[in-house]
Amino acid sequence: MSESKLETVSLLVDNTQTSQDELDVLLQDETLSDSWHNYHLIGDVMRGDVASNLDIDLSDSIAAALAQEPTVLAPQKKSFSAQVKAKVIQFSKPFGQVAIAASAAGLMVFGVQQNNADNELDVVNPVIQTVPFGGTASPVSYNYAQPSPGAQKQALIEQQRRFQALLNDHNQQVKLKAATASTDESSLEPKNALEQANTPEQENN
Amino acid sequence: MKALTFCLLFAFSPFYALAAESVQAITWLERLSQSFKQLNFASSFVVVKNNQAEPYHWAHGVSEDGVQLEVLSLLNGPRRDTLRRDDIVSYIEPQLPPYSVKSNQISGPIPQILSGDIDQLAENYDFISVGRSRVLGRSAQIIRIVAKDKTRYGHWLWLDQETGLLLKLAIVSDKGQLLEQIQFTHLDITEKPSGYLTQLVETEFPKVVEMPNNNDLDVLNWQVNYLPKGFTAIKANRHRLALTKQPAEFMLFNDGLIDLSVYVSKSEDQQRAVSYVKDGATLILNQVVDGFEVSVVGKLPVKTAQNIADSVAFKP
Repeated sequence: MSESKLETVSLLVDNTQTSQDELDVLLQDETLSDSWHNYHLIGDVMRGDVASNLDIDLSDSIAAALAQEPTVLAPQKKSFSAQVKAKVIQFSKPFGQVAIAASAAGLMVFGVQQNNADNELDVVNPVIQTVPFGGTASPVSYNYAQPSPGAQKQALIEQQRRFQALLNDHNQQVKLKAATASTDESSLEPKNALEQANTPEQENN
Repeated sequence: MKALTFCLLFAFSPFYALAAESVQAITWLERLSQSFKQLNFASSFVVVKNNQAEPYHWAHGVSEDGVQLEVLSLLNGPRRDTLRRDDIVSYIEPQLPPYSVKSNQISGPIPQILSGDIDQLAENYDFISVGRSRVLGRSAQIIRIVAKDKTRYGHWLWLDQETGLLLKLAIVSDKGQLLEQIQFTHLDITEKPSGYLTQLVETEFPKVVEMPNNNDLDVLNWQVNYLPKGFTAIKANRHRLALTKQPAEFMLFNDGLIDLSVYVSKSEDQQRAVSYVKDGATLILNQVVDGFEVSVVGKLPVKTAQNIADSVAFKP
């Protein structure tokens, strides 16, 4: 039976005339209206009409979520003395704490957005992983001003690598800061341990 | 009621003994430095940056003979340990054979100056005692270290009221944005150093690295014409970046709190617009001007780093 109904839906999609009875049946059947939606989507895809970002219909799920939402009753108006009291407590807090809390909240929001962006990147092109060696265990985040696909991708990878190299070297030089400061009269053989230290790294690359 | 509000407002207003706050802040920082050097403690902390957390274990102690012992280990990923016995610091890192340098301070996430002579900073930084808070279940004093000329980020410190030790550190931009923070998650103060630490007395440390004496600042034919007040050149040399093998000329500057590296090298490109990335508070800025690539790395705001990069010029 559902086979024949689906056929009716198909006919409708193709703008073929159908009887009023059939239409009524269709409109009451939820799975069939889903099929109606899907057939249209399939048609659109085949014609290449669909935008590159599929605009998924969220209205149903949002409506469902709203239905689940508990009703919020408007809070009762506070008495005047309670309002004043609350204000006084706020004043008595050190301003520094408030500022830090606000900035922490800012960071959290930023963090969530950052995460989403990363996930998208994972799908489109894998995050470039350069070998960490200086002071950080993770590749630096990328803030380049002109994100561009394809041809410039190689340039971006190159840039990322350059940044990582600079950061690693900076961290290394800071660690070696003391070494230079303490060897003023160094007439010893030049570039010994560190030069050797760098060799296995070179082989790795 | 109005009078009470006014009183509270006044009590926390900037008029309230500004000079006294500064003196108080210095006392707190001096106490921190002493505690770092004298106390036996084992601690854990997390460095939060780039939306990621790096956990560390950190222990410090003084042996019966008065020898300072210290271990700092990164707990995630490949092993990265730093050991210290008095004035020898050893770095054990992946891809490098272990090496030692002569220093009485470990170079790690916690600024070295905090265990050094804090008065060195007084010329370029203000110390402000802000208030109290609760961190790691302890009562903490908040101290801000702020550059006088507004060209650098602020450092916020939460110090344990009981021992003076660091409980939390945040690097904050002038707009109040939190860029990087160190949060202690465990702190154990003991009478004697742990057995784990006392082993360091007998441990054979890797050979101390002797760097070639190429610290001559005149070795390079370029100079940095703008630096925020207080930065001095520590060293200058030519070397290759380990990762890309790119040869570069290099200068390291320091203002007591922040390290700043400037790199100059020949580039295949004639011009390249400035670009930068941030690793927590650390900025890496890079641009090519007239065939020369100039890079600036350090915990500095973009504007300051840009001014420094723009000021690099060949010596006349």
